[in-house]
Amino acid sequence: MNQIALDIRSLAKQFGAKIAVNNVSLQVPAGSFYGLVGPNGAGKTTMLSMATGLLRPDAGQAVVNGVDIWADPHAAKSTLGVLADGVRQFDRLTGRQLVTYSGLLRGMDRAEVAQRTEDLLRVMDLLDDGDKLVVDYSAGMTKKITLATAMIHSPKLLVLDEPFEAVDPVSAANIRDILNNYVEFGGTVIVSSHVMDLVQRMCTHVAVISDGVLKAQGTVDDVRGGMSLEDRFVDLVGGRSNNEGLSWLRTS
Amino acid sequence: MVAHVLSLKLRLLANGFKRSVGQLIGVIIGGLYALGMITMLTLAVWFAADEIPFQGEIFTLIGSAVVLGWAIIPPLLTGVDLTLEPSRFVQFGIPEKTLGPALVLAGFISIPAVLTVVGLLGASLMWRSDAGALMLGLLAAVATAVMAILLCQYLVIMATALRAKRRFRELTFALLFLLLVGLGPIMASVFSAAESMGDWIHPLSTVLGYTPLGAFAAVPGAYASALYGQMAIHLALGAAYLGGLYFLLARATAKAAITPPPQQRAATAKGLGFFKLLPATPTGAVAARALTYWFKDPRYAVGVLIVPVLPLLFWFTGSQSGNYTMMYLMGPLIGILLGFSISADISYDNTAFALHALTGISGRADRAGRVLSCFLIAIIPVLAAAILPGLIAGELWRIPGDLGLSLAALFVALGVSSVSSARYTYAVPLPGDNPMKTPPGSGMRMALTQLGIMLTMGLLLIPVLIPYTIGWFQHSQVLGFITLGAGLVLGTGLVLGGIALGGKWYEKRTPELMQSVMLNK
Repeated sequence: MNQIALDIRSLAKQFGAKIAVNNVSLQVPAGSFYGLVGPNGAGKTTMLSMATGLLRPDAGQAVVNGVDIWADPHAAKSTLGVLADGVRQFDRLTGRQLVTYSGLLRGMDRAEVAQRTEDLLRVMDLLDDGDKLVVDYSAGMTKKITLATAMIHSPKLLVLDEPFEAVDPVSAANIRDILNNYVEFGGTVIVSSHVMDLVQRMCTHVAVISDGVLKAQGTVDDVRGGMSLEDRFVDLVGGRSNNEGLSWLRTS
Repeated sequence: MVAHVLSLKLRLLANGFKRSVGQLIGVIIGGLYALGMITMLTLAVWFAADEIPFQGEIFTLIGSAVVLGWAIIPPLLTGVDLTLEPSRFVQFGIPEKTLGPALVLAGFISIPAVLTVVGLLGASLMWRSDAGALMLGLLAAVATAVMAILLCQYLVIMATALRAKRRFRELTFALLFLLLVGLGPIMASVFSAAESMGDWIHPLSTVLGYTPLGAFAAVPGAYASALYGQMAIHLALGAAYLGGLYFLLARATAKAAITPPPQQRAATAKGLGFFKLLPATPTGAVAARALTYWFKDPRYAVGVLIVPVLPLLFWFTGSQSGNYTMMYLMGPLIGILLGFSISADISYDNTAFALHALTGISGRADRAGRVLSCFLIAIIPVLAAAILPGLIAGELWRIPGDLGLSLAALFVALGVSSVSSARYTYAVPLPGDNPMKTPPGSGMRMALTQLGIMLTMGLLLIPVLIPYTIGWFQHSQVLGFITLGAGLVLGTGLVLGGIALGGKWYEKRTPELMQSVMLNK
C-alpha cells in the first residue's frame, strides 16, 4: 500500500501571461481527509484538473496511488474517482443510466454495476429520481449523481472539486457521512472548498493555495496553529480590506 | 434608461468581438461579403432603374421577402442574439414603460439589422428618376426594416415562451425543417405553373401590399402609378400594423421581463433503455449512450431528419422532370450524411466529455461505440434506400451495385468521421440549445473542416465509384457485384482503420480535446 495517495510534484501551468499554478508540490497521505482551500481564482481547479488528467501540465508530475497519471493514464484513472467542477453531465440520460454508464465505461461487469448503482442511488437519496433525466435535476441532485458516477468503481482516491456547492444541508450531511465512512475504511478524499468551517470540522489535513502558490500544508491542527482555520487562512492569503466599507449602504 | 440599455447592447457586441480574433475575422469577412453583395445590387438597381419592369411590384416583393425572412429565420432557425433577452431583466425592477421600448430599440443594434436597412435603402434607389417616389421609397425602406425587426422580436419572444417546453421545441424543429426543405420544390412548381412573370407578380404583390409584409413597400409603387387613394390605404395599413405590432411587442417584452422562467415537468425514462440491450462493455456502453442521444437530443434529430426528407425531395424533383434517376443516389447520400453526422460527436458532448476523460476509457472503445450507434441507426435506411429504387423500377440488375456503393459510402463516412472527430473539434450548438444555432463567426472553421472531411470521403470512395459507374452505363450485374465486393472490403477496412487511428489520436489528445470542448471551439 502506498503511503502517499496523491503526490503532486512541482506542477505548473500558465495561461497566456497568467501563471495559474506555480510549481506546487503537495503530498496527500493515504487514508487522510484532505482539504484544499484558497480564494476564488487561486488555481485550485486548475491544479486538480492537472492531477486528474483533464488538463496537461506545463511541467511537473502527479502520481496517483504510485502511478504517474501522465505516464500511464489508464492505470492511474482506474483507482481514482473525480467530481470535476463546472463540467456538464450526459444529462439526457436518467440518473440511473448515467451511473450505470460510468460503471460500464470503466469495464465493470453488468451485475456489479447494477447492484452498486442501486446502492449509490439509495445513499444519495435519489432512488425516487433515478428514472428522471439528469437535465431536470436540481443543482444539488446533479452534484450527488455526479458523485455517484465518481464512486461506482470503488476508487482508492476521491478528488472532489467543490462537492458541497449548491447542496442542501441535509444532503451535505449525508454526503459527509458517506465520505467519513469511506475514509474510515482506508479511502482517501481530497475536497476543495471555500467554507473554512466545514474543512476545519471535516478534514484531517489541509493545504492553502493562493495565486497559484502553495502557502501551507499539513494536518489541520498544524496549519491553523491554535487559531480558527478561517482566521489563519485570512492571515496566509491576505487581502482583507481595512477601509470604511460602504458608507451609503444604510437602511435608515 | 433607454440609453443605458442601448450602450449595454453596443458594449456586448464589441466585447463579443474582443473575445476571439478568429470570430472577429469571421464576422468581418461575412460582413464584407454581405456589404459587397448589397453594393453590387445597389449599383445594379441604380443603373438599371429605368429599365426595371414592374417596379412597384418588385419593390413590394423585396420588402415582403425581407420581412418574411426576418419573421421566419431568426425565431425558428438561427435563433437571435439573446444576450438582452427580456427575462434577464427580471431582477432589476425597471418600469415596464421604459424597459419595453429600450429592449425594442436595442434589437436594432445588430449587424444583420444594419445590413437590412442598408440593403432596403439600396433597393429603393430604383425610384431615382422620380424625386417624390424616391423620397417615399427611402422612407418605405426604413419603415419596412423597422417592421421586419419588430416582427422578428415579437415572434422570438413568443417562440421562446413556447420553446421552454422541451417536447414542443423538439417537435417544432422537426416540422419546420420538413417545411423548409419542402418549400423550394413547392415554390418552384407554383412559379413554373404561371406562364410568365407578369401572370403572378401583379396579383401576388397586390395581396402582399395589404399584409404587414408589404404594406410599406407598396407605397412608392402606388405613388409612381399616381394611385394616390391606393397609396393612402397602404400607408394607413402600414402605420396601423406597425403601431399594433409595437404595442404588442412592448407589452410582451415588458411582460417577459417580469415573468420568471416557467417550471418544466421533469421527463422520465423507465429502466436502463439501450444500456440493457447492448453488451456490457465500454464499447457497448458508449454505443448505448450515443443511441439514447440520437433519440433524445434534437441536435442529432436534425441529422436523422434527412432520412425521410431526402426521398420526398428527390421524388418531388423527379415528378417535376419525369426523370427519377436521382433516386438511385439516395442510398450513397444517406450513407454519407448519416455517417458524417458523428464527425462532431465530441464537440456535441461538450464538457460531458469529462466523464470519458476521467474514466480513462480506451480510444478504440470510444470510437467503436460511437460508430456502432451510428451504424445501428443508419443501416436500415441505407439498405432500404439502396434496394428499393431498383426494386420499384424493376431494374434488378442494378441492386448489387447500388448496395455496394451505399454501404461503402456509409462505412467510409464512419471511418473518416472516427478519425476527424478525435482531432478536429469545432464550435457547435451547446446541449439544450437551438440545434440550428451556429455560434457567430464559427462558420469558416466549420465549413473548412466539413469540406475537408467530405473531400476525403470522396477520394476514398473512388475505388468503388469506378466499377459502379461503368456498371451503370453497361447495365452490368457482374460489375454490380464487383462494386458490392469492393465496397464491403474497402468499407470494412476503412472503418477498422478509422477506429484504430482515431483511437490512437484520441488517447494522445484526450486533455487537449477536453480543453477545446470547454471553450466550445
